Amino acid sequence: MSALLQVNNIRRAFRTTLAIDDVSFDVQPGELLGLIGPNGAGKSTLFNLIAGVLPSTSGQIIFDGKRVTGWKSHDIARIGVGRTFQIPKPYRQLSVVENVMLSAFLREKSLAGARRLAEATLVDVGLTDYIEAPASSLSVGLLKRLEVARALAMGPKLVLFDEIVAGLTPTEVGAMTKFVAALPSRGITVIWVEHVLYAIMKTATRMLVINRGKLIAEGAPAAIARHPAVVKAYLGEEMDIA
Amino acid sequence: MSVEFRPTRISMLPKRGQISWFEILSLSISILLIIPGIAPNFQDVILLSFLFGGLALAWNISGGYAGLISFGHSAFFGVGAYTSTILLVNYGVSPWIGVWIGALFSAVLGSVLALICARLRGPFFILSTLAFAEVVRIGALNWSSLTGGPEGLSIMPTPLLTNMVFASKTTYAALMLTYLVLVYFVTKSLEASRFGYYLLAIRDNEDAASAAGVNPLAGKTAALALSAALTGVGGSLFAQYFLYLDPTYMISPELSFQFALLPAVGGLGTAVGPVLGSFLITPLSELLRSHLGNAAAGLHLVIYSFSLVIVMLYFPTGVAGALNRVSHWRPFS
Amino acid sequence: MNTFIQLVISGVLIGSVYALMSIGLTLIFGVLRIVNFAHGEFLMIAMYGAWAFTQVFGLNPYLAAVAIVPAMSLFGAVVYRLIVSPALDKPHLVIVFATMALSIFLQNAALMTMTADLRDIPPIFNHSISIGPIFLRPELLLGFLITIACTVGLQWMIKKTYFGKAIRATVQDGEAAMLMGIPVPRIFLMTFAGGSALVGLSACVMMPLFSVFPSVGLNFVLIAFVIVVLGGMGSIEGALLGGICVGVTQSLSSYYVAPAFGQMFFFVLFLLVLIFRPNGILGQQGAATIGMNE
Repeated sequence: MSALLQVNNIRRAFRTTLAIDDVSFDVQPGELLGLIGPNGAGKSTLFNLIAGVLPSTSGQIIFDGKRVTGWKSHDIARIGVGRTFQIPKPYRQLSVVENVMLSAFLREKSLAGARRLAEATLVDVGLTDYIEAPASSLSVGLLKRLEVARALAMGPKLVLFDEIVAGLTPTEVGAMTKFVAALPSRGITVIWVEHVLYAIMKTATRMLVINRGKLIAEGAPAAIARHPAVVKAYLGEEMDIA
Repeated sequence: MSVEFRPTRISMLPKRGQISWFEILSLSISILLIIPGIAPNFQDVILLSFLFGGLALAWNISGGYAGLISFGHSAFFGVGAYTSTILLVNYGVSPWIGVWIGALFSAVLGSVLALICARLRGPFFILSTLAFAEVVRIGALNWSSLTGGPEGLSIMPTPLLTNMVFASKTTYAALMLTYLVLVYFVTKSLEASRFGYYLLAIRDNEDAASAAGVNPLAGKTAALALSAALTGVGGSLFAQYFLYLDPTYMISPELSFQFALLPAVGGLGTAVGPVLGSFLITPLSELLRSHLGNAAAGLHLVIYSFSLVIVMLYFPTGVAGALNRVSHWRPFS
Repeated sequence: MNTFIQLVISGVLIGSVYALMSIGLTLIFGVLRIVNFAHGEFLMIAMYGAWAFTQVFGLNPYLAAVAIVPAMSLFGAVVYRLIVSPALDKPHLVIVFATMALSIFLQNAALMTMTADLRDIPPIFNHSISIGPIFLRPELLLGFLITIACTVGLQWMIKKTYFGKAIRATVQDGEAAMLMGIPVPRIFLMTFAGGSALVGLSACVMMPLFSVFPSVGLNFVLIAFVIVVLGGMGSIEGALLGGICVGVTQSLSSYYVAPAFGQMFFFVLFLLVLIFRPNGILGQQGAATIGMNE
């Protein structure tokens, strides 16, 4: 089975710093890939590179058989890559359902159709109580859920989740984790960047660890937890899988 | 663009993408105002309020919905006006046709502005629109062979239907009202369309819009082209009414400011706002100009700008925003 | 060849005068992240002040700076309190419109009180200074020297004093600065007042060179914007560099190209800079495409 996403030797230099240094990995369809690393390791930069927000200094990205290196972010979104933002970026003056409708327009051209799709997605993530609320009135936790809804309403093949449970209560984390874990069975491949390690360790089928722009480890969650380089990168922090 | 109106349920106060009784009532009153004899002393003001209402609505398409605050729209106004007038005066082309050619040229100019400047944000964009308009103005001023230079251009005042020159102000008022209704209709259709939502998304969060597959530069270019075209039409109509084009006024920063101010006071990003703004400000500035303009040059503008600062600081959502708050007021629930 | 050198040198000198007028604008943007659209009118008011001072006391405008600079500083503080400060937490367009309206207000207030007549001061110096084949107007030379002194002084203040450090901190991260105990609103006020004071100084330098009338601000504010964008918003050295570029461009194009098109040339230059190097030569990376308030 050919990979859904291929990242080949990606480098991204910012003036004097090398933010991403020769990173390569594949993502197979149906995977739930976890991406972890200490702060400043380059996780968000990697997402921005894949999503087309930042151009790479060198290297290739191939998505769904297409060479997307250098493509603009809206074009990459159109071929099936959805993403959330670490700091939520809602359309503040629009209502929650309208926020999701924008993404739904990729699948439904009519307003009525997009609205139906948006409402269904909001039921999915549990935001039905807030359908007509202005996005500016939502708390951070709910905004993160809105981010997920917007990404999913696009009908993506691959979705990039950027710290979607950071700052949520344990109950909320549990609910969201269950939700994300079910996505691959719905045909959506997931790459999930997260700091709340126990959530991601439970659900990921494979893990990547990045530190200082380099990929330092790859493998199953259990193996990663014991990997010496990984433990060192987190400065001796014990990783609790339970 | 798919248009959706829901005629089975008409709301009282304006709602995005739908017709309301407020709007139907306002239109009826406007038509009444034109009828000769009803408001004989105010025909000028009414006429101008209609025209500037349309111009404000046009600005609002790129300024209110797409979030592109432009202080250079007088360039489009001027290009529209000059195009139809030059075609009439030099080539005998009827303004009924010339207006649309002017709109086309303005649209092209609007696209050029977008292509050059749409990547800029905040005050950088605003400044670039100012510079853009100045380039157009200086060009118009100096290209005397085409535009008549600083002396301007005049249209023969003899009333003739094919020349869009009329004897009675009533006819002009009807013309201006038609323009207003046209731009209003375009705005409402925009609100009820996918494209309209794209513009709102670009305005509210460009990065999120990109992530949702919306091309921000394409959206901005389309918005500016549409806005410019409609502004150009207004310019042509203005020329047909005043029968004289003066580049120093037609393409001035003062006029550009006016186009932005009316929607801002009335309520950005709403259909009703720019019209309310025009009906508030246009009569006010005419009133001040006629009563105080002679007493001390500039007093009317002093009062006018002072009120503006107050309105801006205390009513940033404009009159339409206030109306909206009223419409959500439930005194008995 | 001599003509060319003459033009370039005059351009550098006048450019430095333009730069002095623009430093206030760039500082205000760098710290408060707003553009004061009434900047030209601040200049106009200060110029009328300098003119009035010379009429009443018979002194030359350079000495008038003693009164004008503090007066403008106070004026700036008042405008800040009444208009800028309440607008800072509102949508961005509020401050844009409010400063635009202020600009119209001041222009017309001046029109009402001073009429549209041009006002000049009598010439101070009677002959040009000549260095070899080059002639220099002493007013320009003096303006140049004052600008350089000012720039050096400001740079020293920014780098060596607490206030300067506080400004730099605020520019980089206003929230963090507040958390560190820096009184950000006070910094905003002082920057706005300080920027206005600089405008006052530049008015005193410009009065011997230009006439004042109510809409004189419009001519100069667009020049100031070009300089500030060219040099990079928030950069003082950038303003100086930008000013010199603009001065030289204007000087050369007015002579070699038709004077009318000379003005247009300069807006085209502006647009070109905005397209290709919107952060200016020395400005902050990404400033133009990130805008502010994001």
